[in-house]
Amino acid sequence: MLKVKNGDLDKLGLLYERHKKKLFGFFYNLGNNPSISEDLVQNVFMRMLQYRNSYSGEGAFGAWMFKMARNANYDFHKKTLQTGVLRSTSEIQIKDPMEDRLNEEIEREDNNALLQKALEKLPKGKRELLVLAKYKGLKFSELAQIIGCSEGAAKVRVHRALKELRIIFLELEIG
Amino acid sequence: MDKELFEIKAMEHLTGAASAADTALFESFLDKNPEYKEKFSELKRSWTLLGQLDAPEPSAQMDDSFFTMLSNALQKNKKEESKNMFAGLFGWFKPQFAFGALFLMVGLGVGYFLASNEEKSSNQVVARDKETEAVRQKLILTLLEQPSANQRLQGVGEANKIVAVDEIVIKALLKTLNNDTNVNVRLAAVESLTNYVENPLVRQGLVQAIQNQESPIMQITLANLMVALQEKASIEPFKQLLKNQELDTTVKKKIKNSIESII
Repeated sequence: MLKVKNGDLDKLGLLYERHKKKLFGFFYNLGNNPSISEDLVQNVFMRMLQYRNSYSGEGAFGAWMFKMARNANYDFHKKTLQTGVLRSTSEIQIKDPMEDRLNEEIEREDNNALLQKALEKLPKGKRELLVLAKYKGLKFSELAQIIGCSEGAAKVRVHRALKELRIIFLELEIG
Repeated sequence: MDKELFEIKAMEHLTGAASAADTALFESFLDKNPEYKEKFSELKRSWTLLGQLDAPEPSAQMDDSFFTMLSNALQKNKKEESKNMFAGLFGWFKPQFAFGALFLMVGLGVGYFLASNEEKSSNQVVARDKETEAVRQKLILTLLEQPSANQRLQGVGEANKIVAVDEIVIKALLKTLNNDTNVNVRLAAVESLTNYVENPLVRQGLVQAIQNQESPIMQITLANLMVALQEKASIEPFKQLLKNQELDTTVKKKIKNSIESII
């Protein structure tokens, strides 16, 4: 990113290749549909170009990028609320039940669908926190940098969000 | 251990952020406190479940939009740099505008009488053009190295925009023509290289590529190109290719016709 900041703009292509899937997964797991998620990824890289001078090189690049991604997501939903455009949440793909699949796979898919639903029911901030924490590359220090709190507080918040998610998940599983 | 400390230690333990000593301490704490052990195993189940969260693959259209955006940004950046350079120059000379004008007049006069060569005035423009092309060439080389065929195609497309490519780009295009796994990328590379057929390196590379191609469409494209160029050096590689028993019959016919047309 420092090279991009110093005018070597074509290096942004390499950053894109390295992080596009992570960012796409982040937006998708926040409940955006694939098309909106792709637009938001594009938006993040446009912001990176626009605000490249704000990158100081201190702290992890991932934290800087996800901070931008959070803002992009926030701005997008603020705008859709203002314009009254409804967003469609990510669709859970329903497969043909006649397909011959292993029980394990079916269970995994069911769990995944239930997990998506549970995440949707979780307050936005907590959901965002869990999606961010899910990416193993992100350390708690980086997470703390993104959400603007101490490292200890980030751990506590993720712990509590995870607990809340489990409660919602179990409720959905029973009901 | 109070509630908050447990929450912190549990997260460190789950994410593998805890040190070996901390891990041992935490595990012995769990062994001594079954209610916390239960809490932790519940948490672990949720964390594992969360790990299953997946997302579909982004589409190729996302790559297209990004590389178009990057290409536009690169062009815009170049334009702005030039603009800033001029703005800087004018800003510098503004207070001494009168002197500047005077020197300009004198300079023009001297220049006229000494009939200095015209090349100097265009040197700056040429240098800037060269700089833009250098950035684009770097972009081409980066794109041609990408794992996605779509991006490599874009790399070849970028090469078409350059008026005078240097040897490195030509070699990269020839490497793509000979080694790329995707036939569309190889076809695009041939098309791009036809822009520089006056260059002996390109001609030589195209002739050498004949024997490396296994795809019928590539073989026919190269045969057509060699006929158009009337490249006699291609006859031998084509004859070698005809010896291949597995060669497609249509391609065989086409190559024979091409050899006759060239001779």
